[in-house]
Amino acid sequence: MTWRTQANAIWRICYFYGFLALRRQPLLFIAIFLTPLSFLFFLYVVAPHSVLPYGVTGGIMFTALFTGNGMMTDCAYLRLERQLQQVFVTSPLRPMSWILGMALGELAWTIPAIGLFLFVLAIVVPIGALAVVGLVGVVLLTWLLSTSLGFLLSTFFRQLREIWPIGAVVFTSLSVLPPVFYPIAAIPADYRWVAFFSPSTFASQLADHAAGLSVPTISVLPGLSSIPVEVAGMVVLTLLFAAMAMRLARWREP
Amino acid sequence: MEALVARTLSKTYQGTSGIVRALDSVEMTIAKGRLFSFLGRNGAGKTTFIKIASALLLPTAGSIQLFGIDVVEHAREIRERIAIVPQEGKPFYHLTPREHVEEYLRVRGATRETARSRADEVLEDMGLLPYQHIPAMVLSGGLQQRTLVAMVLATEAPFLFLDEPTLGMDPFARRQVWDVIRHAARKGSTVLLTTHYLDEAEQLSEELAVIEGGHVLYQGTPDALKSKVRQEIRLHFDTGFTREELAAYGEVFVERGGLTLLTTRNRAEELTRRSLERKVAINVGPVTLEEAFLTLVGRAIEEEDPEALA
Repeated sequence: MTWRTQANAIWRICYFYGFLALRRQPLLFIAIFLTPLSFLFFLYVVAPHSVLPYGVTGGIMFTALFTGNGMMTDCAYLRLERQLQQVFVTSPLRPMSWILGMALGELAWTIPAIGLFLFVLAIVVPIGALAVVGLVGVVLLTWLLSTSLGFLLSTFFRQLREIWPIGAVVFTSLSVLPPVFYPIAAIPADYRWVAFFSPSTFASQLADHAAGLSVPTISVLPGLSSIPVEVAGMVVLTLLFAAMAMRLARWREP
Repeated sequence: MEALVARTLSKTYQGTSGIVRALDSVEMTIAKGRLFSFLGRNGAGKTTFIKIASALLLPTAGSIQLFGIDVVEHAREIRERIAIVPQEGKPFYHLTPREHVEEYLRVRGATRETARSRADEVLEDMGLLPYQHIPAMVLSGGLQQRTLVAMVLATEAPFLFLDEPTLGMDPFARRQVWDVIRHAARKGSTVLLTTHYLDEAEQLSEELAVIEGGHVLYQGTPDALKSKVRQEIRLHFDTGFTREELAAYGEVFVERGGLTLLTTRNRAEELTRRSLERKVAINVGPVTLEEAFLTLVGRAIEEEDPEALA
């Protein structure tokens, strides 16, 4: 298959797995934005209203991060329960095309939710076109990082029962514990650098920068709070996770 | 030319109570364009073999080639030439049968026109046209299985792996699928089929192999397998004779709540006389592939563990 036919295959997988599923099961859309919206509502009720914009950017990043959870669950389900991944593996389709097609399908499901959060953000803080472009860029990097991790994990499961606990541990610790829904300023100044062990901190800091929200400097490692370092960190981490998915994922069982 | 050549192919797993030999030095050759069946009990090694041959699983030792290409070293080239119906596979819940066929063909590189025309053909041949626009989630299990088979057979791949393709189908549907499989073989595809329906293997296979405990017990034609059991008549008794009495006449096994005996024509005549004297009803017929399979595998199990079938 040529690059052109591989590209077409990626689009077909995205179309039938993402868009067609969303059109036939609109509940998917509600299920995707329900959790971040609940967090946002919780913040609105209990936290000072100054924190609300962080909750909205948090909602965007949470949705982007959870494409990885969807990718992990769906790929494991298609492989273990429906045996469909095997049907695609035994075809001229390249592993990269399957991963990208599925990942784009996951992204397709989140587009309405991310659009909704962007709309809410525009209400709570004044944002321009540049901010939207910046946020979309961060969302795309986060999506690529997260779905790479999700696919990699999916290839190691031996039964469906393993998916839910591991998904809960990995993706909750990526999206809820780090400063995704709350400003990093809520962490004591001397310990803020610890949060950067999670890739989602780079993503959420960049999202806050893009939305024009106040981001404090990291006293121990001040460079961490600069946009170029965060962009570089995010790009390197994304490439690392994508490479790991390509090299370590079990496309063929040992 | 050979489509598949396996040499001393082995696969071992680390089980909870030690090493499990799923395949043990399997030697197999399948000629190009052949419709070949792979028979064996559950856990005999059929699916493991198919997974290795289709580049889904790595062998522990030995080699396997498809169309002269090493499956382990050149998986990408192999994948260009194959398609598989996996065991107990299920279609996407939200797609219709037509979408399954067309989208799968397009993912494999077919143009929209080719995908559409092949979908028209295979959906009609598989009796799926009345259901072509219904999402799989509301189709019966048999129709879902037919959808998966249609999707794979429409590829016209040079080598088709069909792992229990008619599982859960009604007898009419199974015959429709047989026709499509025969059609694929006539068009030049080599077909490797596993099935537990021995009538299916008898109807479809030009050649077959029987595997037990990871060893190939037999490879050849179905007729040669039947002659291998050296008996030509099958007698079935619901009652009236004990297993020990019948054992003197040939091979006996328990079947459908009674006893089935495979024996020669002369002995069958003698037993028919005796059953008339005892006023016992008997069922007489030629030895089928199923009985030949049971005999062959039964002998192998007894050799391995004499008390296993007691």
